[in-house]
Amino acid sequence: MSYYGTNDYSYNSDFALRVRDMKKGNLDLGWLDQARERFEVRPRDPRRGLEVSDCEVGPYAIDAMPEVIRDNRGITPRGAILPVSYQPDLGPTLNRKTDVWAYRVQRYWEEAVSRQWNVSTDVPWQDLAKYDIPLELEIAFCQLCTLLSEVEMIATDLPAKWSHHMNSYFQEVKGFISSQCLDEARHSEVFRKRALANGVGLLKASVRSEHALKGILEADSYSEGSVFLHVLGEGFILTLFRSSEFISPTPVEQRMFQLVMQDEARHVSYGLQHLKYLMDNAPEHRAQINLFLDEAEKLLTGLFNSEQLEAMIVLGGKGTKPENIRRGVEAVGAFQGKQILEYFQRCERAGLPERRDRSPLLELQHQMIAALQAAQA
Amino acid sequence: MALKFPSVDFFRELARRMNADRATFEKLGFCDAVMGVRVLGKAPHLYALTFEVYDCTEVRELGDASEAELDFTLQAPAELWREMLESIRQHGQPAPQYTLNSLSHIGDRMQVVYEDPEGHDKLYRFMATIQAYFDNARDLEIEWA
Ligand SMILES: [Fe+2]
Repeated sequence: MSYYGTNDYSYNSDFALRVRDMKKGNLDLGWLDQARERFEVRPRDPRRGLEVSDCEVGPYAIDAMPEVIRDNRGITPRGAILPVSYQPDLGPTLNRKTDVWAYRVQRYWEEAVSRQWNVSTDVPWQDLAKYDIPLELEIAFCQLCTLLSEVEMIATDLPAKWSHHMNSYFQEVKGFISSQCLDEARHSEVFRKRALANGVGLLKASVRSEHALKGILEADSYSEGSVFLHVLGEGFILTLFRSSEFISPTPVEQRMFQLVMQDEARHVSYGLQHLKYLMDNAPEHRAQINLFLDEAEKLLTGLFNSEQLEAMIVLGGKGTKPENIRRGVEAVGAFQGKQILEYFQRCERAGLPERRDRSPLLELQHQMIAALQAAQA
Repeated sequence: MALKFPSVDFFRELARRMNADRATFEKLGFCDAVMGVRVLGKAPHLYALTFEVYDCTEVRELGDASEAELDFTLQAPAELWREMLESIRQHGQPAPQYTLNSLSHIGDRMQVVYEDPEGHDKLYRFMATIQAYFDNARDLEIEWA
């Protein structure tokens, strides 16, 4: 027990006396006088039910809050009457709106809740038995699933790590990143289940990737963690998922990638809109974010490890014969080039166009183009 | 009765099927996007499909993209749209190389045109719904223009 509190409430005699009184029917009812201004809250669109944005009224609205929250140090819900004194300090470190906020975060939260799915029942696992997958393709696919299951664990842990540091007034962000935790836990689950479903199982974990992933988890600020995870990491993974649907051995994996891709795109959208919000409203962070990305982009290249690359080449070329490998090298080169290109586009949209000129990924892109040209020659 | 592709009636029939299939589309979740479908060829066509909540609420033909607030437009020659729809009709769902995702990603055979990046993101966030809308063509009799 590390927190004993400033009072032992079980022996608070005043309260014990009050309870005895209350049981006799002597209520104070003073709190009824705290009745507040009333606001009309109803579903703007009945098809959607009562949405988070419908509740943005009066003192409950995020816009009614100052840019920096100084008064609420505990977990008072936004708009509730703040206790006058003795509120415990839960030590929120993210108290400025630009620390966490994203344009349209309310919409992303509703979308996340509405578009949940179930790994056990929404992937047609029973259909796997209908297909004869060549063993080398199955092994390659399980190697890819191993890496993806690993990656998704950090994507679960990063939002979980930062949620309690956020001031409770930023409830929509806390809600959205909670939905992300569930999404990512589900992704880790789906890749684990797929690796096991045909008997081959999980293969080699990656030291290189785990170093890259540690960089995400250890980011010094939430915004740095978010730009690394949501924009850089998940942006790369989104492109990989888009490509993986194409190299899926059967329609079962096709379905699996279609579903994970939608969740991933939502996380990328949130990250982009957070970065954009930060750049629009606290541009003094630009230099720090750029310095951080200089290092984060180097770390990210750890996600490309030889087992995963070879597995993708075998899957892309549908085999291990020389002509398969040639086709696979082409397919993987094209998708990796696209990963980098799309990342630069996203940075530009978020207001960081300079990444295109200073990124260590540029060198990698040149190496890949050269390797691709050599393979084609 | 065969429906002509491309035509407003064709897309309206897909919308009717979507709106009648509550179970599938409620399971997939909210989908809010205005999508453009551009069919290139000798007589090019542009359609605006409005998705709201679980439904496709409006289908109309546009003379020009500026006539609607399109989040994104999928653009491809008529032959490619035909190959995609034939693949859906043959297997009940497209072969991996003929999903909207693959067509717009691998080799960029289908272009994704957009002005607002948020609009562009919607294609990926709602991909399963949009694909299911097109998969409704699985047993449609189609008359190719
Ligand atoms: Fe994920």
